[in-house]
Amino acid sequence: MNSDLGSLRTAGASQRRGPPAADSEAVITLRNLTKRYSKDVLAVDGLSLEVKQGMIFGLLGPNGAGKTTVLRMILGLVHPTAGEVLLFGERMRPGSPLLGRVGALVDNPLFVPHLSGMDNLKQFWLAGGQPLEQAHFDKALEIADLGSAVNRKVRTYSHGMLQRLALAQVLLNRPDLLLLDEPTSGLDPQEMREIREMVRRLAQQGATIFLSSHILAEVEQVCTHAAVMNRGRLVAIGSVGELVGAANNVYLEVDDVTLAMRVLTGIAGIRYATPEAPGISVQLNGLERKKLVAALVNAGVGVETVASRHRLEDVFIGMLQEDDG
Amino acid sequence: MIRVDLKKQAYRLRTYIALGLMVAVPVIITLAFKLGGGPRDHGQNDFFTVATHSGLNMPLAALSAMSSFLLVVVVALFAGGAVAEESSWGSLRYLLVRPVSRSRLLTAKVLVAALLAFIATALISLSGLVAGTIAFGWHPIATPSLAAMSQGEALSRLALSTVYVAWSMSAVVAFAFMLSTMTDAALGAVAAGVGLGIISQILDAIPALGSVRNWLPTHDWHAWEGLFAHPATTSDMVNGVFLQIPYLAVFLLLAWWWFHRRDILS
Repeated sequence: MNSDLGSLRTAGASQRRGPPAADSEAVITLRNLTKRYSKDVLAVDGLSLEVKQGMIFGLLGPNGAGKTTVLRMILGLVHPTAGEVLLFGERMRPGSPLLGRVGALVDNPLFVPHLSGMDNLKQFWLAGGQPLEQAHFDKALEIADLGSAVNRKVRTYSHGMLQRLALAQVLLNRPDLLLLDEPTSGLDPQEMREIREMVRRLAQQGATIFLSSHILAEVEQVCTHAAVMNRGRLVAIGSVGELVGAANNVYLEVDDVTLAMRVLTGIAGIRYATPEAPGISVQLNGLERKKLVAALVNAGVGVETVASRHRLEDVFIGMLQEDDG
Repeated sequence: MIRVDLKKQAYRLRTYIALGLMVAVPVIITLAFKLGGGPRDHGQNDFFTVATHSGLNMPLAALSAMSSFLLVVVVALFAGGAVAEESSWGSLRYLLVRPVSRSRLLTAKVLVAALLAFIATALISLSGLVAGTIAFGWHPIATPSLAAMSQGEALSRLALSTVYVAWSMSAVVAFAFMLSTMTDAALGAVAAGVGLGIISQILDAIPALGSVRNWLPTHDWHAWEGLFAHPATTSDMVNGVFLQIPYLAVFLLLAWWWFHRRDILS
């Protein structure tokens, strides 16, 4: 494992400690969860992890890592070959009443095409056997922001509109737990930003969020915790801060890269600095960011941007390369 | 849940086309008889020979003509699409992430398919009755054996025949529904349901198969015509009612078993 990962818990470490024990705070507990679709296809291999209340938990991994299968097993759509799923401390089974506390967006948002957006929401709600009065339509539609289009047939919707309708659907029951599979997939940058902000707001209101994504920046921006999967196995798990080593890596955009590089090579507390157009990637080794910026400014370098950038990508790729061996 | 599913069907153009066909065909048959100058003698007595005798004869002719194929297609359409269409739309996974058991979902789906199958059958009789009465009046009917039967008697037997024909579709409905739980391709499940009806009727027409034919799900499909024989016979109808039960039980049990162990990947 990459030594830069600090206190990051690796899959190996997790196995040595055994599966995490369920307690009252645990919203999702996966114990040795395994799914084998056929003799040759092992989608998920002994996954154990715990998501606690209030976390925004990102499940990261390349396509085919098994993320969607994990989500589907949590929801009871796919039967585990081995292991178990606990939601709110109780064993999850298909169609369990526990699903009344869950909102789920699984894969691409798809609806009954000949019904309007509003009718789809109503039918979805009624299918759960609850009266319409108990659904939070106003709040959900406010977030979906579909306007009068909510009364149009769904077959006329764009992908972004479908995604927003799907999120409205997810929020109808004011869920305690949100399971989102690639929630910004296919959206334009503005829509992506709106969805991410919405996720943060929901977490602030007390919901626990479990999202799968292969977009590293998304996890880095939105999530408090993350797990990395590769080929069905857990590669690493921890807080995003731990994963990223946020304090150690800085990306700088400056007005004079050459001068900045000269300054950086003379400062203690920096492991290395590498030009990375249009700026410089700096690996800190004890130096505080504000002192780094001050040193550059004092040397006459204009600092335009200071950001933690690309680090999760670096870590992620490193983990996968190490895992692939 | 049943209400939800019924509403889904009620909003579909396909539902109206399928049910509209059940209304239109008896009307077309009636018009053909009216404009064509009545039935021609083709050497045998059946419901078509006496179709113009009374308005009450027309639904019997329509039921006899349509229950072997057109009705089969329509009931297979409702049953075969019940689960597979949700699967192909991708909405099945959203139904199953609600706190609703798979059994409850299947129960609602199969009951709606059965209800639509019954409505389709009833529409044949109703449409034939209305069109026939307008065209040929409200008289005592003539049975194929040329016996007369009062309107009240004929109407009650028509109602019983309609229920029987609808029940006779049970095996087709259950088979198409079972396949609907196993595939995302609704058309495949529909075609297989129609195929079961056709193959069973072909096999039933092969005398060499002997008593095996008695066990074919379509063997007693036309047993209701015995109600209009002279004297009326009901023993084949009773056989026909019981014959559907094992098919219904086996196909539905398989549907339940399969759907409960199925991984929802679509």
